[in-house]
Amino acid sequence: MTAAPAIPQTQTAGKRWRIAALVVGLAALIILPLVVDSPNFTRILFLTLLWVTASIAWNLLGGFAGQVSFGFAVFYGVGAYTTALAINAKVNPFLAFVMGAVAAAIISVLLGLPTFRLRGPYFAIATIGISEAVRVIMTNVGFTGGASGYRILEAARFRQFEHYFTALGLAVLALAVSSRIANAKFGLGLKAIRQDEDAAADLGVNPYKYKLAIHAVSAALTGAAGGVFARYAAFVHPNGVFGFQTGVHILLMPVIGGIGTVWGPVVGGFVFGIVEEEIVASFPQIHLLLYGLLLIVIILFEPGGILGGVREVIRRFRGLRRQ
Amino acid sequence: MTLIDFASLLVSALLLAGIYSVMSVGMTVIYGVMKIVNLAHAGFMMLGAYFAWELYERFHVDPILAALLAFPVMFVLGGLVHWLLVRRLPHSDEPTLQSLLLMFGLWLLLQNIGYLIWGNTDRSIFTPRTLSVVHLGPIAVSTVRLMVFGVAVACLILLEVVMNYTWFGRSVRALIQNRYAGLIVGVYEDATAGLTFGLGIGFAGLAGGLLASLYSFDPDFGRAFLIRAFVIIVLGGLDSISGVALGALVLALVETFSILFVPAGYQLAISFGLLVVVLIVLPGGIASVLAKVRRVA
Amino acid sequence: MTNTNEWGQRVRISHRVRVCTGVRLWMTAVALLVVFTVGCQRKAAEQDSIPVGVVLPITGREAKPGQYQREGIELAIKQINDGGGIFVKDLNKKLPVKEIFYDDSSDQAKSASLAERAMSSDKVVAVLGAYSTALGEAESVMPDRYQTPWITTGAAATTIFSRGFKYTFGTLSPTSLLGSTTAEYLGSLVDSGKLKKGLKIAMALENTDHGVDYGNGIKQWIGAHPGYFDVVFSESFDLGSPDFSGLLQKVKSAKADIFLADAHLQDYVTMHRQYLQSGMKHQMISYGARGPESDARKALGDGVDYIFAGIWWSDKLPYPQVKKFSDDYTAFTGHKPDSWYPATAYDAMRILALAITNAGTLKKDAIRDALAQPELKESILPGQTLKFGANGQVQNPFVIVQNKPGGKVDIVYPKDAATGESIAPIPKH
Repeated sequence: MTAAPAIPQTQTAGKRWRIAALVVGLAALIILPLVVDSPNFTRILFLTLLWVTASIAWNLLGGFAGQVSFGFAVFYGVGAYTTALAINAKVNPFLAFVMGAVAAAIISVLLGLPTFRLRGPYFAIATIGISEAVRVIMTNVGFTGGASGYRILEAARFRQFEHYFTALGLAVLALAVSSRIANAKFGLGLKAIRQDEDAAADLGVNPYKYKLAIHAVSAALTGAAGGVFARYAAFVHPNGVFGFQTGVHILLMPVIGGIGTVWGPVVGGFVFGIVEEEIVASFPQIHLLLYGLLLIVIILFEPGGILGGVREVIRRFRGLRRQ
Repeated sequence: MTLIDFASLLVSALLLAGIYSVMSVGMTVIYGVMKIVNLAHAGFMMLGAYFAWELYERFHVDPILAALLAFPVMFVLGGLVHWLLVRRLPHSDEPTLQSLLLMFGLWLLLQNIGYLIWGNTDRSIFTPRTLSVVHLGPIAVSTVRLMVFGVAVACLILLEVVMNYTWFGRSVRALIQNRYAGLIVGVYEDATAGLTFGLGIGFAGLAGGLLASLYSFDPDFGRAFLIRAFVIIVLGGLDSISGVALGALVLALVETFSILFVPAGYQLAISFGLLVVVLIVLPGGIASVLAKVRRVA
Repeated sequence: MTNTNEWGQRVRISHRVRVCTGVRLWMTAVALLVVFTVGCQRKAAEQDSIPVGVVLPITGREAKPGQYQREGIELAIKQINDGGGIFVKDLNKKLPVKEIFYDDSSDQAKSASLAERAMSSDKVVAVLGAYSTALGEAESVMPDRYQTPWITTGAAATTIFSRGFKYTFGTLSPTSLLGSTTAEYLGSLVDSGKLKKGLKIAMALENTDHGVDYGNGIKQWIGAHPGYFDVVFSESFDLGSPDFSGLLQKVKSAKADIFLADAHLQDYVTMHRQYLQSGMKHQMISYGARGPESDARKALGDGVDYIFAGIWWSDKLPYPQVKKFSDDYTAFTGHKPDSWYPATAYDAMRILALAITNAGTLKKDAIRDALAQPELKESILPGQTLKFGANGQVQNPFVIVQNKPGGKVDIVYPKDAATGESIAPIPKH
C-alpha cells in the first residue's frame, strides 16, 4: 500500500491521529445514542455497526487475501438462522450468537475446501452460484419456515440499548481482529497471496490453508453479525438474509471505504449504512438511481475508496503547505 | 410418459436453449475481450424489451422485427456507455472488482430509469402469433419460441462468421488471446473495445426484445435470466462463443428434465449446483474439454 | 495552483488531478452533511395533523399491487381531508390526516426497518401497509415493540395474527380461507350437478407463503369433505421461471381433471401460454388469486376465458358503496380498480379514521382499543361490514370470479353476490 518511504515524524504523527480518532469515535458511539435518545437514531447506528462488522469481515478475505467472494450472504444467513433457531429453543442470546458464528465458520470450511482451488473470476462466480443455491434451498426447507420465513419469539422485553451495545461490541471486536491480523505475520502472508499466489507458495506460505483459515474468521464474524441482526428484527427470510443483494452490499462497503486497509471497511460501512438508510427513506421514487449514481461516481473517481481519497487530499494539502 | 411426450419435452428444451444462448451471447462477448462481467446485462435486456414493446404498441411494428431493430439502437447505446463510463476503468487481464461494481451501479440506474419512464405495471406483447403453434409431426411447438430459436441460431452463426472472417473479428480474437500481443500487432484497443461493448449490449437488447414476445415484464426484468447467463457462460467456457451454445443446451436440458425427478422448487438450486460442480471439476468449462479433444485429435 | 515536487521545483497541478481532488472533497462534504442530517433529526411533535405511516412496495417484485394499495389509502385520506379531517374530541377540533410514505422495494428487512422508523421517529399514530406475507411478518414485529397500531392491507397469513400480539390488525382474510373457499366453490359445483364427484385435482403452487397457505387451505377442505375430490399432484415451483414445460409435463402425467395453480402475474402468463400451446385441457382451471386482471387479458387474449379466481374483493360486487368507490377511484387515479388491491387498503384507512374518532384522542393505546371494537358499516368488502376478529384479522368471505368470453368477468360465488352463472366444466373446443 505504501509507495514512498515514510518520514518518521509523519508516521508517528499519523499514528497519534489514528489513536485519537479511535478514542473519540468510540466515545461518541457510546455516548451519543444515550444523549440523543431517539430510537430511530439508535436503530440507524445499530444497523450501521452490523454492516461495519460484515464489511470488516469481508475485507479480511477480499481485501487482505484478495479473494473476491460474492457469497457472504451465506454466512450472514447461516448465522441469522442458527441464532434464530437457538433463541427459539430458549438458548441464551449471547450463546446463540456464538453458535451462529461457529455454524458459519464450519460452513465456510465446507464451501472453501472445493472452491479455493479456483482462481480469480472462477472463484467469484462459484460464490455467486453457491449463494443463490443456498437461498433457493432455504426457501424450500420446511422446518425453518421455507418461503414463509422464520419468526423469533423472545419472552424477554425488548431493550434497544442492549442490542445496540452488542452490535458496538461486535464491531470493536471485528476491528481488533482485523488490526491484529494486518500487523501479524499471518496478515503479511495474506497480502503475499493477494499479490501473487504462486510466488507466495514458493516462499513457504500455504495458500490453501491460509485462505481456509481467513475464510473461517471472516465467516464467523459475518455469522455473528447475522445473528445479532436476527435477534433484533425477530424475523428472518431467505430472500433477505440469503439474498444476492445482501452479498453485494457486504462487498460494496470495503470498496467504498478503501479495500485492503484496516479502517477502509469501517468508513465504508458507516457511509453505506447511513446513506442507504437516508436515500431509501427520503427518495422513494429514485433511490435506486441515486444509489447507482453514487456507486458509479465512487468507482470511476476514487477506486481507492474514501480512505484513498482522503489520503490523496491530505497529501496534496501537505504539498501545498510546503511552498 | 409416452415417447411423444418425451420428444415434446426434448424439443421444449432445445427451444429453451435457443432463448438462453441469445441472451448469454452478449455477456460472453464483453467478458471475452474486456474481462468485464456485465451485471448491467439485465438492465439492457429490459431496455430492449421495452423498446420492442413501444415499437409494437405505438407503430404496430411486428414484435420480432422490433426486436431485430433493437439491436442497432442498443449497439449505439452500448458504444455511448462505453465512451462515457466503461473506458475509464483500469485495464486488466482479470475481472476487477471495480468493473463488477460499476456494472452493478449501472444496472440500478437502468432499473430506476425504467420505473420512471414506464412505471411498475407488467407489460406484455400479445399478437395472434403468441398462442399459435406449429406442428412438427405429432408435437406442438410454440411459434414464437421457434422464431426466437431461429434468430438465436442466426446470431450465433453471424457472430462466428464475424469472428473468423473479418478484420474486426480477428482483432477481437487477438485481444482475447493475449492483449499485449494484440497491441503489438497493431490492434486498436480502444476502438475494438468500444465496438465489442456495443456489440454485447446490442445482443442484450436483441435478446430482451425477443423475450418481450414471450414473457410479461417490468423494469425488474432480467434478473432470473442474468443469473442463468452466468451459469451458461461458465459452463461454456468464459470466452468461447460456440461454448455459449453448448452451455445453453446443457443448462436447458438439465433444467427441463431434472424437474421430472425432483420437486420443481429446487430447479434453480440444481442449476447452480451444476455450475459449482462444473467449475470445480472442469475449471475451464465444457469448452475446455472440447478444446483438449480437438488438440488431441 | 502549484505544488512542490521532490526536487523543490514548483509544478502545476494538472487539471485532472484538481478535478479529482475536488470531487473527493465534495463527496466527503456530502457524506458529512448526510451524517449530520441524520444526527440532528428529531421531529417535534406536531399537533396540526394526524400522521399516519404507510409502508408499501412501489418498486421490486410487488410493485404493482403496492402501488394500487397506496392509491386506495390516498383516496381514503383525500376524502377524509376533503371533509376537514378527523374530529379529535381531546383537542376539540378536526385535524387532517398526513400520510408519511415509505417504499420498501419489496424487501422485508427494509419493510420492518421503515415501519420501525415511522413508529419511533415520525411518531405516527398507526402504520398501514405491508403487501405480501413476508413483508407483513417482518413488520409485525414492530407494532407491539413500539405499541403502535398496525393494520396490514396486503398480508393474509394467519401466523401473523396467531401469536397473541395486541397491536396487529389486518383487513385481509386469511389465504388459507381463500384456498378452502376455492375448494368449497368447486364442491358447490358438484352439488349442483355441474361437476361429477371424485374428480382429481393437480396443483402447482408458487414457492411463497401465499402458495403454501393456498394449497393448505384447499387440502384442509378436501380432507374435511371426503368423497368430493382427490389431490393427485401438488408441487411448488420457483418464481420467475422462463420455462414450465417440465412442470406442465408432470401435471399432464398426473391425468387430473382440475388444474389449480397459484402464481404471480408473470408466472401466470408464462405458464398459461405454455399450457395453451401444449393443448392441455382440464374441466376447471384457476391461478389462485389471479385471473381477472386486465394485464392478464392483455397478455393472454382469449386464453383467459373460463379461468376462475378467488379474490378478496371485486368491483363487480352489487353494493352501492362499491360502485361509488369504483367511480371515485377511477376519477382519482385515472384507471379502474384492478383486482382487489385498493379495496382492503381503502377500508383499512376508513376503519382507522373511525377508530380515531371513537377514541377521541391521538394516544396510540386508546386507538388500539378502539380498533378492536367498531364495525365499519358500508364496507366495500364482501359481507359489507368490516370488523377485526379477536386475533386482529378480519374473516370476510371471498368472492370467486370467472372470466367469461368477450372480456366479461362475473362473480359466480357466493350466490348472494353472484352476477352470473358458473360455466363448468369448461367447454372443449
